[in-house]
Amino acid sequence: MAIIERPGTGTTPVVATPQQTLGAVKRPVETKGWREWLFTVDHKKIGIMYGVVAMVFFIIGGVEALLIRLQLAMPDGQILSADKYNQMFTMHATTMVFLFAMPMAGAFANYFLPLQIGARDVAFPRINALSLWLLIIGGLVLNASWFLGGAADGGWFMYAPNSGPIFSPSHGVDFWVIGLQIAGVASLLGSINLIVTVVNMRAPGMSLMKMPVFTWMILVVQFLLVFSLPVITVALVLLMLQRSYGATFFDVSQGADPLLWQHLFWIFGHPEVYVLILPAFGIISEVLPTFARKPLFGYPFVVFSGASIGLVGFGVWAHHMFASGLGPVSVAVFSVATMAIAIPTGVKIFNWLLTMWGGKIWYTTAMNFAIGLVVLFTIGGLSGVTHSVAPSDTQQTDTYYIVAHFHYVLFGGMVFGLFSGFYYWWPKVFGKMLNEKLGAWNFWFMVIGMNLTFGPMHILGLQGQPRRMYVWTEARAGEGFFNLGFWNLIASIGSFILAVGVLFFLINVVITARSKKQAPLDPWDARTLEWLTTSPPKAHNFDRIPVVHHLDEFFHRKYEEDTATHTMKKVAEGEDLVRVEEEAADAHIHLPSPSYWPIVLSVGVGLLGLGTIYGIPMIVLGFAITLFASYGWILEPSVAEEIDFEPSNNDGNTKEIAPLG
Amino acid sequence: MDTVSPVKSLTRRISTTIAGVAGAVVLAGCAQNAPQDTWQPKGDNAQMITSLDKLVFPIAGIVGVLVSAFAAYIFVKFRDKGQAIPAQSHGKPIVEIVLTIVPALILTVVGVFTFRTIMDLAETQDTEMIINVTGQQWWWEYDYPAQADQGITQPIITSGQLVIPEDTNVLLRETSRDVIHSFWIPALNGKKDAVPGRIHLLRMQADQPGIYAGQCTEFCGLSHANMRMEAIALSKEDFAKWVANQQKPYVAPAEGTLAKEGEGVFINQCARCHQVNGIKDANGKAIISAPDENVYSGAAPNLTTLMTRNTFAGAMFDMVNQKCRADVWNAKSEEFGAKYLAGVTEECLNEKTLRAWLRNAPAMKPMYADPAKLEKTNGLYRGMPNLGLTEDDIDKLVAYLLTLK
Repeated sequence: MAIIERPGTGTTPVVATPQQTLGAVKRPVETKGWREWLFTVDHKKIGIMYGVVAMVFFIIGGVEALLIRLQLAMPDGQILSADKYNQMFTMHATTMVFLFAMPMAGAFANYFLPLQIGARDVAFPRINALSLWLLIIGGLVLNASWFLGGAADGGWFMYAPNSGPIFSPSHGVDFWVIGLQIAGVASLLGSINLIVTVVNMRAPGMSLMKMPVFTWMILVVQFLLVFSLPVITVALVLLMLQRSYGATFFDVSQGADPLLWQHLFWIFGHPEVYVLILPAFGIISEVLPTFARKPLFGYPFVVFSGASIGLVGFGVWAHHMFASGLGPVSVAVFSVATMAIAIPTGVKIFNWLLTMWGGKIWYTTAMNFAIGLVVLFTIGGLSGVTHSVAPSDTQQTDTYYIVAHFHYVLFGGMVFGLFSGFYYWWPKVFGKMLNEKLGAWNFWFMVIGMNLTFGPMHILGLQGQPRRMYVWTEARAGEGFFNLGFWNLIASIGSFILAVGVLFFLINVVITARSKKQAPLDPWDARTLEWLTTSPPKAHNFDRIPVVHHLDEFFHRKYEEDTATHTMKKVAEGEDLVRVEEEAADAHIHLPSPSYWPIVLSVGVGLLGLGTIYGIPMIVLGFAITLFASYGWILEPSVAEEIDFEPSNNDGNTKEIAPLG
Repeated sequence: MDTVSPVKSLTRRISTTIAGVAGAVVLAGCAQNAPQDTWQPKGDNAQMITSLDKLVFPIAGIVGVLVSAFAAYIFVKFRDKGQAIPAQSHGKPIVEIVLTIVPALILTVVGVFTFRTIMDLAETQDTEMIINVTGQQWWWEYDYPAQADQGITQPIITSGQLVIPEDTNVLLRETSRDVIHSFWIPALNGKKDAVPGRIHLLRMQADQPGIYAGQCTEFCGLSHANMRMEAIALSKEDFAKWVANQQKPYVAPAEGTLAKEGEGVFINQCARCHQVNGIKDANGKAIISAPDENVYSGAAPNLTTLMTRNTFAGAMFDMVNQKCRADVWNAKSEEFGAKYLAGVTEECLNEKTLRAWLRNAPAMKPMYADPAKLEKTNGLYRGMPNLGLTEDDIDKLVAYLLTLK
C-alpha cells in the first residue's frame, strides 16, 4: 500500500515514491489473489484470517466433542479406546481454548480494536502478521500429532507426573508442548501489540473513559496475557526439558514436588479463563446498548469491574486445587478470594440488565445471542459460587458438575458472545447481512442443544459421575429418574442438536457469501466509531481521523437530545456522516507495505520447535531460517520501492475511495 | 415486527430452563440407589459438606430465579413497541453501590460458614484409627499399621476395599507410587488427591455398616475410568472379626487337591509380584514377592485374603456373581456385616470374569503391559501382563485362589 497521496477531494490517489532505505531484500507490494493474504500486514485481513482459522479449529474441536458424547451415550462405550478417548478430551479442550477461543477473540480484537479507537492499523503491523502465522504453525504442530503417533493424552491441564516420558510415552505431549509454546509466543506478541495500539493510537479526544467497552475488555485481556503467559511458557519449557532432554523438574524420584506444575499451570490457567470470557463480555457490552438504544448502564462500573475481575483473577488460581492437599489455611484464603470474584461479575450482569431497562429493545440474532449470554452465564456463575465453597468443591471437583459449570460459562457465555459478535459485525466486515431467519434457527438450536447437553451434566456430577472417564458403568449408574444412563443419553442427543445449530451458522455464512445483496452502511443504528466508515472498511479505515467528543461518538453524531422530552431524535444518517468524512479525506495516508518475513519466521520457529522431537539437524535448520528471517525483517525497507508496484490502472484505486451509493 | 412471539418463547424457555435446572439440582439429592450420589451423606464429614450445600444451593437458586425473573420482565416490558429512542442516561451510582454491597454481604455469610467447615474438616485431633492409603495405576492399597486399641496387632495390607469400623474417626494418610490419584468416597467425605512424595490426610467416618462406592477422581492415565474402590463399614464386633481373619496364619491347601496344584502355579506365575503372607515353597522357605523388579510402581495387590473382598482388579470387576452382589449391596445395615464377612464362596464366585482376567488381563483392562512397549520404563510393567496360562493352569489357580480367605 505504501503511501497514498490524496488531494482533498475524491480524485484518484497516487502512489508516492518513498526514499530508498537500506535493505537486502525487496518488500512485496500489494498483489492480487493469495499473495494479498499471505504477506498482508493489514489488521483487517489478519483479523479475518484469525477468524477463519479459529472457525476451522472450532469445527475440529466440535467433532472431537461429538465423538466424546457418542462414546458416553451408553454404558461401556465402544466408539473409542481408552487411549483414543484420553487423546480426544485432551485435544478437545486444548483446541477449543487455544485454537478456537483465543484466536476468535483475537479476530475480533484485530479487526475492531483499531476501528473502534479511530486508528488506521495496529502499532506493529508486521508483528501482528507474525502472531497470526505463529498461531497457525502452533495449531498445525498440535494437530499433526494425530497423524504422527497419537495426540497428547494427559488432559489440557497436563498434570505432572502423568505428563512425563514414562507415563505418556508417545510423542503426543511433545507436540502439545511445542504447539502451545508457539501459540503462546503468538499471543504474547499480539498482546503487547494491542496494548501499545490502545495506549498510543487512539483518535484525538478519545480518553480512556471514552473508549468503547469492547476495546476496554480487550485491553484488560492483553494485560492478563502479558502477565500470565510467561508463567505457562516457563512451565512448558520445564516440561519440554524433562521430556526431551532428561531433566527432572517434575520427577518425584528425584525429589520434585508435582504440585509445582499445578501451581504454574493454574497461575496461568485461571487468568486464562478471564482471557476467554472478557472479550465476549466486551462484545455484548456493544451489542446490548445498540439494540436497547441506550448507553451501557454504569460504564465506569462495567470497565472497572472488568479490570478488577482481571486483577483478582490472578489471586484465585488455587481454587482449581482444593483437593490437591494445600492445607486448610490456603484453601480458606483461596475459597474466599474466589467468592470475591463473584461480586464484580454480578456487577456486570446487573449493568447489562439495567442497560436494557427503559430501553427500546430490538430483537435481532445478535441481540438474542447477547441475551443468551447474560442468562446462561448467570447460571454458570451461580454454579461457580457453589464450588467456590471449598468443602462443597471437594465433592464436585473432577465430576461432571464442573463440566456443566464451565460449559455454561464458556459455551453459554463465551461462544454465545462470539456468535453475537458474528451477527452484529458481519455487515461491517463483509458488507453483507447474515440471514436473520437462519440466524433464528441458529440461535434456537444452539440454546436448546446447549441446555440439553450441559444441563444434565449438573445432575450427572451431583450423582457422582467423574470426568475424564472413557466409560461409565451401569454398576454405578443408579436407578430412578436421576440414573446416569438417561441423562448421559440426553446430553449426547443435546450435543448433536447443538451441532446442528452451528451447522445453521455455517450454512448462513455460505448463503450470505453467495448473495449479491449489499448491507446498509449502518444496519443496526450503531454507536461506535467502527461504523463511521464504509463496509467493508477501506484499507486505511478512515478517510479522516475522527475527533472524539463522546462515549458512543457515532451515535451522538447521529442523534441529538430533544430538550423537552429527553428522548433522542435523529439528525443525521450514518451515510451522511461517512460522506462528510470522505469529502474531508486526509492527504498523505501512511500505511505499511506487506512483508514476506512474518510467515518465513513462523516456519523457522515451527521447525525449531519440532527439532526438540526430531533431533538436532531440524533444530539447526529451524534456527537458520529464523535467523535469516530475523535479519531480513530488520533490514527490510520501511516501504516498497515505487518500481515494485504494479502499474496503477485507472480504475484500480476506486475501491479505496469509492463514494457511497 | 414479529418480535412478540420470540420474546415470549425466549422468556418461557429461560424460565423453564432455570426451573428445570434448579428443580433437578434439588431433586437429585433425593434420588435412591445412585451409589456415588454426593448428596446422601452417610458420615459426619460428608454431612458437614452437605449442611454447607443446604445453605449455598438455595441461595444460588433464589438469586438465579430472581435475576431470571427480573431479566424476563425486562425482555418483555421494554421490547420495541414503537416508543421513542430513550434518554441516553449513563447509570446511577447509588444503584451500582447497592448492587455491589448486597452480593458482598450474602457472600460474607457464605464465606464465614465455609471457613468454619474448612477448619473442621482439617481437624485431626479426634483421630481414633490410622490407615495408609496408596494409589498406583490403577488400584488402591490399604495398609493398616499396628494399632493395639483397634485390635490390630500386626500390620494388615489389603486392596480394593477399604474396611473400617463404624462410627470411628479414621484418618487416611494418602500417597501415591506413580502419578496423582484422588481418593473419593462421596457418602463419607469429599475427595483428596494422593500425590507421590507427599502425604495428605483425609478424615473418614461412617455412621452405619454398609458398602460405600468411590472412584479415583484425578485423571491418572489409561485406566483412570476403571480405578474404583469401595469403603466397607462394619460394626465394631464385625470389624474385630475381620481383623482377626486378616491376621490368621496361612493354611496351605491339602496335598493332592486341585488347590494344592494351584498353589504351585501361583508360586511359579504370580508370586513374583503378588504377596500371599505365609506361603512357602517346596523346601519350606517363605516366598517374598518382589514386585519392584517387575512393576513400575513397585507394588501389586497383596492377595493373602483375596476372597474376603468382593471385587478385584482395582475394584473394576466383581468377584461375586450378580445375585450374591445384590445380596451384599442391598443388605440391611444390621445384616450387612455377616454377609460381607462370609466372603466369596464357590457358589458366589464370578468365575467367568476371574478366568478371563487370568487368561489375558490386558484384554480386560487397558494397561501398559505389552513387553514390546516398555522401553521408557526399562521393561517394568504398569498393570498385569498376559501370563500365557493354559486353561488347565487357570482351573488350578481358581481352585487355589478360592482358599485365600
